[in-house]
Amino acid sequence: MKYSGFKSGIIGWGAYIPVYRIKAKDIARLWGFDERITDSLWIEEKAVAGVDEDTVTMGWYAARSALVRAGVDPRDVGAVFVGTESKPYAVKPSSTIIADALGISTRKLSTDLEFACRAGSEGVRIAVSLVESGTVRYGLAIGSDTAQANPGDVLELTASSGAAAYLVGPADESVAVFEALVTYVTDTPDFWRREGSRYPAHGEGFTGEPAYFHHIVTAVTMLMSESGLKPSDFDYAVFHQPNGKFPLQVGRMLGFPKEKVLPGIVTPWIGNTYNASALLGLAKILENSKPGQRILVAPFGSGAGADAVSVLVTDKVLDRVGRAPTVEELLSRKKYISYAEYAKFRSLIHRNLG
Amino acid sequence: MVGSGVTKVDRHYDKNYLTLIDEAVSKALADSGLDASDVEYLVVSTAFSETILDQADPSTYIAQNLGLKNVKTLTISSGEVSGAVALDYAYSLVKAGRAHRILVVGFEKMSEYPSWVINKVYAKILEYEVEGIKNVTPPDYAALIMSEYMRKYRVSREDIVRWSVKMHENAVRTPHAQLQFTISVDSLGRALRISEPVTMLDSHPVSDGAAALLVADESATKKTNREPVEVVDVESSVNLPIYLRDDITYFSATASAYKKLSSKNEIKLSKTTALNVYDTYDIYGLLTIEALEICGRGEALKCLSEMPYLNVGGGLKARGHPVGATPIYQIHELRELMSGASWVRYDGDISLAHSMSGPDNNAWLILLRRWV
Repeated sequence: MKYSGFKSGIIGWGAYIPVYRIKAKDIARLWGFDERITDSLWIEEKAVAGVDEDTVTMGWYAARSALVRAGVDPRDVGAVFVGTESKPYAVKPSSTIIADALGISTRKLSTDLEFACRAGSEGVRIAVSLVESGTVRYGLAIGSDTAQANPGDVLELTASSGAAAYLVGPADESVAVFEALVTYVTDTPDFWRREGSRYPAHGEGFTGEPAYFHHIVTAVTMLMSESGLKPSDFDYAVFHQPNGKFPLQVGRMLGFPKEKVLPGIVTPWIGNTYNASALLGLAKILENSKPGQRILVAPFGSGAGADAVSVLVTDKVLDRVGRAPTVEELLSRKKYISYAEYAKFRSLIHRNLG
Repeated sequence: MVGSGVTKVDRHYDKNYLTLIDEAVSKALADSGLDASDVEYLVVSTAFSETILDQADPSTYIAQNLGLKNVKTLTISSGEVSGAVALDYAYSLVKAGRAHRILVVGFEKMSEYPSWVINKVYAKILEYEVEGIKNVTPPDYAALIMSEYMRKYRVSREDIVRWSVKMHENAVRTPHAQLQFTISVDSLGRALRISEPVTMLDSHPVSDGAAALLVADESATKKTNREPVEVVDVESSVNLPIYLRDDITYFSATASAYKKLSSKNEIKLSKTTALNVYDTYDIYGLLTIEALEICGRGEALKCLSEMPYLNVGGGLKARGHPVGATPIYQIHELRELMSGASWVRYDGDISLAHSMSGPDNNAWLILLRRWV
């Protein structure tokens, strides 16, 4: 199959999932939720970053895997973007820390992006534009989060930690080429965190219909009408996954059978990794895909916006999968912790130091 | 009653209360054949506009928005029965000859805030100094009453939810209903508990909606596009606080209001009378049809399948419960039924709407009759 008509693609990808897991039912029990809420949301357990992990360390790990898979010299990377809503520093970029730690060129564009759960995917879109315009040869987009949730809020059942990274570059070096990209964005206040507030607030049902479902359905419908593609043209569909239920539901609304959606669902076992959520799902699919297959990726971020991206897998994917830890390997590497340990790791216990 | 109109009951994130009311009033006016300029009096019903919308007396602003100038306006806020009280007021004005054409508007906007805020607001239907400060909420009482009913009459949890199954079946056929899907007794095992043993399947949802009625004297009945429905009588009673009742499975306010209504008007309800009752929780629906003497005590579940005109709109359970508007929705549904516009044909002469605050703390009955 020829991919000469396309200008850019994914050269390498990487994932990171912290080793610690807490069972969602443990959280539900502690706060007096009906434990069946975990079944209705389809959340089994979530990944918890350790005391020495944050958005930067996790983003670095995923980005290093992306570079290793790509086999690209870090000095040839001309742009680094980190999409996150849990920056270690309120002011000071995370992207510069990760870039320097990876030995990426100092002649580069670099910034942190914020758009709830879809800043990482906006990073991918910017990297695509920079590569296609000839501004840079390679652009690195990272989605990384240690998502916060108010203890006792229903969000705490899912808000988790993880990272995914994508190195974007010329199509002829790619494991998957970008075939069509579209983004739909509105002002929709479904989820937010005010300055100075420790935890985000959300509009419950409002985060569903007018936010998640409306934006993803609209973005994907735009993509289909602009590209002429149909659900049957895709082998897989990956959606943002705040829980296990929503991606299956939105897939159904768009006419994707369950078998095309399930392979990209990771949230029931690691929680919602926010900026890494849909991007980890894509990584898992790339690692199991065959050349010639077509994947739909539709991340969503509150605030609100959704991207719809169609990628075509090339034969280069096959020998790059084994160069770095796969999502499945990271999913199976786990150590269970109690709510107390989780509270300690995520700084939910306040104590005087010194 | 010469016209009625409603909006779909839903979570209307994209419409404010004035927009919803505009839609309902337009439909009611079109139905009645009257113009906005014919309206002399605007009676507005809402339970929570001051707390949820930060709006005291919305009636003035509703009149302004509807372009009504030469009208008297007022807001009635009387908890979950606000709509019934509003209708009683309009009915009394017409009866007394103080007004000829009255627009009654009920509305509520419950999806403006997260549920912890809305639950706190809704709990104000109980007595703050008793239940409020002790954190006893409306579903807690439903749980106590349901448990007691199950124990007393040896009824299973699965049996009780059959009420809700029926309500959802009716809602599927009702275009303005909120929950237009069916449920089954089997779903109970997966349903989230609100207050043991009450689950989501037993409870009304959180709803937004607006409904409008045109109540008029005989002079307006000639203009109406459909046959009017006569408001025959309105009755009400107040029960003891729940903690002073001898038997919490008996809705005595509903029962005594019905006794007054039936003896005064010489009517008797039967299983085939069109009824629209408050099933805030399914157990309350069952107790209500027992208090209305349609079924014997503890036998409501046996009657259920023999009542084809019970809550044809889906009840509070599945049509939804936009609190201040709910009684107006009930009247609208009965009018649709009596004028042949509903999904089921009804030939009976009378119909009855029942509303109440909390577990029968007070009860209101509105008796309607086919126009002759």
